[in-house]
Amino acid sequence: MKLGVFMSDFRGGSDVLDRLSAEKLGIILVGNGIYHATTKENGKSSPLLNKSANFYVLSEDLESRGFSPADVDSRVKPVTYSDVVDLIFNDYEKIIWI
Amino acid sequence: MGKLTIGCFSSLVGSLSLDFGVKLAEAAVKKGHEVDFWVSSNATMLSKKGQKAFKDYSHLAKTLTELFATGKFKAVACEACAEARGYHKDDTMEGWGRRSMDWYLASAFSADRVLLIGGD
Amino acid sequence: MAITKLAFIVRSLPYKTEASRLALTHAIASQTVEIYLEDGDNVEPVLCFIGDGVLNCLKSQQAGKYYGITSLEQHVKNSLLLDLKVMICKEDVDRFGIKEDHLVMDAEDIGGDTKAQLVPYSEIQKVMEEVNHLQFF
Repeated sequence: MKLGVFMSDFRGGSDVLDRLSAEKLGIILVGNGIYHATTKENGKSSPLLNKSANFYVLSEDLESRGFSPADVDSRVKPVTYSDVVDLIFNDYEKIIWI
Repeated sequence: MGKLTIGCFSSLVGSLSLDFGVKLAEAAVKKGHEVDFWVSSNATMLSKKGQKAFKDYSHLAKTLTELFATGKFKAVACEACAEARGYHKDDTMEGWGRRSMDWYLASAFSADRVLLIGGD
Repeated sequence: MAITKLAFIVRSLPYKTEASRLALTHAIASQTVEIYLEDGDNVEPVLCFIGDGVLNCLKSQQAGKYYGITSLEQHVKNSLLLDLKVMICKEDVDRFGIKEDHLVMDAEDIGGDTKAQLVPYSEIQKVMEEVNHLQFF
């Protein structure tokens, strides 16, 4: 399955993601999920980014929280709402929110 | 063009997940897609008329009015969820429907994509 | 004539939020969805409990007595009474040390024949792949 996951949380939801498998996985960081793309704890990036997936971060939620695209981990691509719509319809068959 | 069904349970005030749903709907409609928007639980308050804009709270009513005008956006609130919160049919914003949960499932039946945004 | 399969994946604990209750009530609403659809069309819900969500399936919940509301146990029973497919993740049940006889596995006391299935996560993953749409609660 081609699965798009909206990750809206920084502390929760990783347990779900750890077990999910998909032939194509996209993780779209939104809301407080954006901290996975920007924040290091004890010098380490979020373990979420080690998952085999395409990563995106919603620019609007990024900037709302004081970050810019320059702060984003190189594995994560900043996207707009318009881009998200295209991801939903063109790249992933099923989409979930966690 | 496709059809996106969005279900949302999050609060109008106190969570920005509902904002996400509305903004996503707006972006999808702008691209020519159809959107069905279902609100239940605390999200039903999004369909209440008379919402005032304050700087500390999300104000989505204007966006919704614009979305209804496109003809590509349908929004329906869970009737039981609204009534349980003391909010009745005559308090509903123009454009909104009120139905039972089977409406959401029927919308999902014919949707190309379904996104359920759970409660906070 | 078409069937759209919808998975309702419950991962939330009961009562603090409405999430798991909404999964069950929305899934149960499939019983009346035909009024909106063409003849022969229908939706087929599957309820799966994973992670903390398996704790919704515990027996002896007394939410009616203390909160004055329908328990999640009762909603699981109602789902079985209506012949909805209910799957509970075995690894998570084992992780919590829950015995099968402490879970709502049937609705015999209210006249239901359908039983819940205690299955490995891999079976739930298969369901996720088979359905048309996935929803996490």
